[in-house]
Amino acid sequence: MKAINNKSAGRCTINPAPVEPWRIPELLRKKINRQTACSLAACVHCGKCARSCHYALARPDDPFMTPAYKADQIRRIFNRHIDWLGRIFPWWTRADTPRDEQDIQSLKDIVFGTCSGCRRCTFNCPMGVDNAALIRLARGILTEMGIIPEGMANVCRNQWESGNQMSVTEEEFRNTLDWIRCEVQYELGVDDVKIAVEKEGCDFIYALNPREIKYDPSSFMNAAKFFYLAGESWTLPSYGWDITNFGLFSGDDRLGAFMAENIYQAAERLRAKRIVVSECGHGYRSVRWEGYNWAKYRQAIPTESVVETIARYLQEGRIKVDRLKNTAPVTFHDSCNVARYGGLLDQPRLILKQVCADFREMHPNRMNNFCCTGGSGLLTMPEYRPLRLEAAKIKADQLKATGADIVCTMCHNCREGLGDLISHYRLDMQVVQIMDLVAEALVLPDRKTDDNCRAEIKQV
Amino acid sequence: MSDLSGLMQHEVHLAALSFMGAAYILRIVWLLQFKKIEEMSLSAGTGNGAVLQSLLAVTKPWTIEGVRKNPAFYLQFVIFHLGAAAAIGLTFLIPYRPELLKDALFVQSLRMVLGAAFIVGLFRLYRRIADRALRLISTPDDYFALVMMTLFYALGISAVSGNPEILSGQAVLTFFILAAFFHIYVPFSKIIHYLYYPFTRYYLGKMMEHRNIGRKG
Repeated sequence: MKAINNKSAGRCTINPAPVEPWRIPELLRKKINRQTACSLAACVHCGKCARSCHYALARPDDPFMTPAYKADQIRRIFNRHIDWLGRIFPWWTRADTPRDEQDIQSLKDIVFGTCSGCRRCTFNCPMGVDNAALIRLARGILTEMGIIPEGMANVCRNQWESGNQMSVTEEEFRNTLDWIRCEVQYELGVDDVKIAVEKEGCDFIYALNPREIKYDPSSFMNAAKFFYLAGESWTLPSYGWDITNFGLFSGDDRLGAFMAENIYQAAERLRAKRIVVSECGHGYRSVRWEGYNWAKYRQAIPTESVVETIARYLQEGRIKVDRLKNTAPVTFHDSCNVARYGGLLDQPRLILKQVCADFREMHPNRMNNFCCTGGSGLLTMPEYRPLRLEAAKIKADQLKATGADIVCTMCHNCREGLGDLISHYRLDMQVVQIMDLVAEALVLPDRKTDDNCRAEIKQV
Repeated sequence: MSDLSGLMQHEVHLAALSFMGAAYILRIVWLLQFKKIEEMSLSAGTGNGAVLQSLLAVTKPWTIEGVRKNPAFYLQFVIFHLGAAAAIGLTFLIPYRPELLKDALFVQSLRMVLGAAFIVGLFRLYRRIADRALRLISTPDDYFALVMMTLFYALGISAVSGNPEILSGQAVLTFFILAAFFHIYVPFSKIIHYLYYPFTRYYLGKMMEHRNIGRKG
């Protein structure tokens, strides 16, 4: 195992026991599936993946940034213990296995610190090798051994213990919802907004990112506003409302299953007809796609992003917008988890074209878009921030070329990641989410904008 | 045709091919033993043909960014693999349809393809050694496979000629010895990637189809 040539982070582990490299083959055998086995076996080392990875593009002279090299770290172990030739002649395929703490540390730095799992290399691999899945496989093995960056470990622990990543208590949750309800009533000038918790038989349950409860409620407030105006029947579960899922980032399928199943069970418990998830890239991917597989839970009701819900409202005329309320040039960043992993490409554009007077695509876009560089939990791992921001140059150049004042995304993580790189590269840009722009463009029915009513509500 | 050459072209060739076929079957069985991810989520669409598109990716170079930025890579790929097809074809033409090799134009075409593939092979070898990123990820198997394939093309050129008498020469014998070696070695080497291609591509395409990824907006 070779160390990457960036500053290696200190050993962070949630398991104080000594590292046990001998467990790796056993864990690999346990976690491997046919899709990953195919990807492990099929790489021809052509090196084409380097041309699609933002890390490799930002560091063209650093061979350690090639996605195939990163995936090779787990491929070597596979070759050494599972593949035919590597077991007999390991040197022939450079088959190897981590032997000590240093090897494990090196593996950890590579799989957690040099890949955002954006899957751009996967779609640009002539063989269809899914390097991102291999990185996640390696992360999962390390996580099971307790070798995981501290920031990520903390979030995982919160999710296991409280069912949400920020350890929001039910009391805190309900209190926050209550003042958000008041705020929405005030903004709309009405007094009949309801944010029901644990209400049975609603049309859908709404699940969100804990940051919307903890410190950035604007996203949830906007959603509540739209649901009210559209006359929706909706509710929030008191438990099982967190769509974020660090099982996805850590490679821990058990945590992935636990978090996703909380939501599926909440929908079942409340007899909801749908699950709607807020604007969160990996949350959408986890709840809509991967979670059902991790939890082995056969999907019975539709699951959709709130962006799809809003697009439907606009199409059906259930909410009215005026695009001239957003005149600044806006560009859209496709979140990897939503676009490359989820195929949700058209609905955000459908909305943006209705709520912005000057919408412009960035290039490349859709499935070829570059990562915000904050994916795969990298924002929770400050030890890898310098390299992440160096790799972010590709995204910064892409943003700059649009000439837009505003970059819009449909992912909280991307919002943070883009914000970080915008500040680092001193771009004159603002990051918003789709619901922010819809809220700006919203045309309220006349009866709900009466000043007297506002004053009354304020008093209440 | 010498006895040894005849033996290599027929009995040994067929035995090596049988071994390769058996090893391929075992490889596929081995691959299928890994548990498959069962898709539990509802499909997002009614099928967008992504499986077929994924399987045909090799015929659509513009879908791969590395190729879009460097089209010469695809040209190399095509030439190199046409050379492989020509060399493999020769292992059947020489023993079973030698009369075809009396056609000067056909033989000249074969030699041109093999010659171009040989040059590409040398270039690929140079690139693998000179490019730091490629050197880092290359294994002895990668180098060996490339060297042997390039050698195979060179021997293929030597083996074909408009003159049937030359077909019985040392070049043909060496060509068939190498072919037999290949048939035994390939199932264990990276050259087997073409056996995996349909699998990786199928599963990627299947996932894309299920999630309706890749459709045009």
